[in-house]
Amino acid sequence: MMRRSSILLRAAAGAFTLAACGQTPPPVPATPAVDSAAIRARADSASAAARRDSLAQAARADSIARVRADSIARALEASRADSVRAQVLREGADTLPDTPSGLDSARAALLATPVHFATDRAELSAVAQGELERKLDLFRSYPRLAVQVEGHCDERGPDEYNLALGNRRAAAVRDWLVEHGVAAARLTVMSYGEEHPVDPRSTEEAWARNRRAEFRVTRSAR
Amino acid sequence: MRAVPRYLAAAAWVSLAGAAGIGQAPLRAQDTIQGGVRIGITYTPGRRPALAVVRVGAGTAVDSAYAMLLRDLDQSDRFELVRGPVVERGDTTKAAVLIRVAASRAADLLVVVEAKGRRTEAVAYDVARNALLHRAEFADAAAPTGRRGVHAAADAIVAAATGQPGIAATRVLFVRAGRLMRVDADGHSPTATGSAGNPALSPAWAPDGRRIAYTAFVPSGQPIVLQELTSGRRAIVPTTEYGLNITPVYSPDGRRLAFARGTEAGTDIYLSEVNGLAAGVPQRLTVGRFADNLSPAWSPDGSRLAFISTRARTPQLYVMAADGSGQEVLARFDYGATGTTSAPAWSPDGQFIAFHREVGGAPQLFVLDVATRAVRQLTGSGRNEDPSWAPDSRHLVFVSSRTGTRELWVLDLETGRVRPLTSVGGARLPAWSPRLSAGGSPE
Repeated sequence: MMRRSSILLRAAAGAFTLAACGQTPPPVPATPAVDSAAIRARADSASAAARRDSLAQAARADSIARVRADSIARALEASRADSVRAQVLREGADTLPDTPSGLDSARAALLATPVHFATDRAELSAVAQGELERKLDLFRSYPRLAVQVEGHCDERGPDEYNLALGNRRAAAVRDWLVEHGVAAARLTVMSYGEEHPVDPRSTEEAWARNRRAEFRVTRSAR
Repeated sequence: MRAVPRYLAAAAWVSLAGAAGIGQAPLRAQDTIQGGVRIGITYTPGRRPALAVVRVGAGTAVDSAYAMLLRDLDQSDRFELVRGPVVERGDTTKAAVLIRVAASRAADLLVVVEAKGRRTEAVAYDVARNALLHRAEFADAAAPTGRRGVHAAADAIVAAATGQPGIAATRVLFVRAGRLMRVDADGHSPTATGSAGNPALSPAWAPDGRRIAYTAFVPSGQPIVLQELTSGRRAIVPTTEYGLNITPVYSPDGRRLAFARGTEAGTDIYLSEVNGLAAGVPQRLTVGRFADNLSPAWSPDGSRLAFISTRARTPQLYVMAADGSGQEVLARFDYGATGTTSAPAWSPDGQFIAFHREVGGAPQLFVLDVATRAVRQLTGSGRNEDPSWAPDSRHLVFVSSRTGTRELWVLDLETGRVRPLTSVGGARLPAWSPRLSAGGSPE
């Protein structure tokens, strides 16, 4: 829960800095007619609300992780009591901002080397485990280092199934690292399915490159 | 492109229609499309009523209404569209047209579209019985609100003539380049909708057509988002802020939401109570044990969920009660031989489940007869995937790459006719709306 809270805080803080640029995106109008004054007014009141809420946000971010509502009424109250879930949506991006790794370029490159998978499989091959062995030294040498493991797929399977498959790939990498002594709190997982190919071609070679787990630094080594 | 049906160009305009013959054979719905793709269902067409649409008077409003009605009635796939009757100069009243159609025996049904001052009137007749079936009047059909009125009139005419309403007053949500889009059922005006900001996938309609659910991509994971279409207000289902949460779908009564969530060791199906934008904490229905369970699809009575599971390695189609009990294989498969199966959609009448399955490396559409569990393949070449049912339980919208890029297409299971719906480039994951009432379907 701690790692979730810390990321949540970062997400909420990021969302707050974006709030001034228009917090609540208005629904896309069906006609070109845009009431700019109304939108401006909405943005103004929204950013005012965000300022008002800023002091309480840390507490809310922490409390949301502990919410155990078991009914609609309680969940509704919880959603009124915090704006964290709404803030999550205001990010606009689907990837975490880049965090400097704090590693020299050779070690940063070692960390960034993806791990690859067989078609429709999430098991770690001997080659993949060898790759993780090399990264293991980094985690041992730099105990502050934390990463998000991001699972990806090639374009061939069903779009939604690929999100599940990418999740299993990322989880397989995380589990291997945890089994080899890396604290679970230093590892988060995320799946992008087939949404972020490194090679957009439809060839065996491209598919092989796209079936991968990547490592995004979430806390600098130093 | 078949954007404009053949007969539209040649259709009779009342006072200029000297060349249009009445004795010609009815125009037949086509069962093939360009590229030689043939729908792999055998269909012996029953006799469909012959329908003629005729306009009286001139002007852009009547022209728009005429063209839209003709297209809507044609795309209901319930009629043989026949050319309008030969009408001589001077026959500019509905009565005169009706008499002529009756005399010619060219059509069983007649729709007359007529300018009425600033408004347009459409009147449908049963020719043989000389009976009025439906009368509708609408404002400028070229305006967005006017289009809705014309579509509603077309659906009412279909209902009066066949007993089953049409599907013209519906929309399809889909995803393009990570954004939610919507398009009218006649292909009009694909428009970005809903999800400003974050990339989105897997849109699903609430049964009242006023709200949608979808998966958003944020840096910390994929939450399930509920959104009101009119106001644009959004909320995240509690506890889905983190991790993988995909394939949301509303129960037929709109009070529950099923979706799949990534867990420690796989993916499982969860259920949340929903009320407007509020949702309860999700309850788990499946226990994965290193398998993925996803893509739930409700039976129309809300008692069962079809879903995809990898418990036998390759994703296949299963079914369970809505409380998670009684999980069993739904579509028989040969272990290690039957291809990846995905994207089940239960027809609103409960009879069929459409899905796609890999055949020779490409997904193809299938339907399963729920009563007999017999499975038949609907498409044969190209990639055809992610079917979603129209409210009439006979049309499917799906994604096909048959023209080289992923677009939405509509298949009528009764006639085998296929038509393109979009040409936007890269359309995915369509969701056909329920019937949208005139007041309840926001822009």
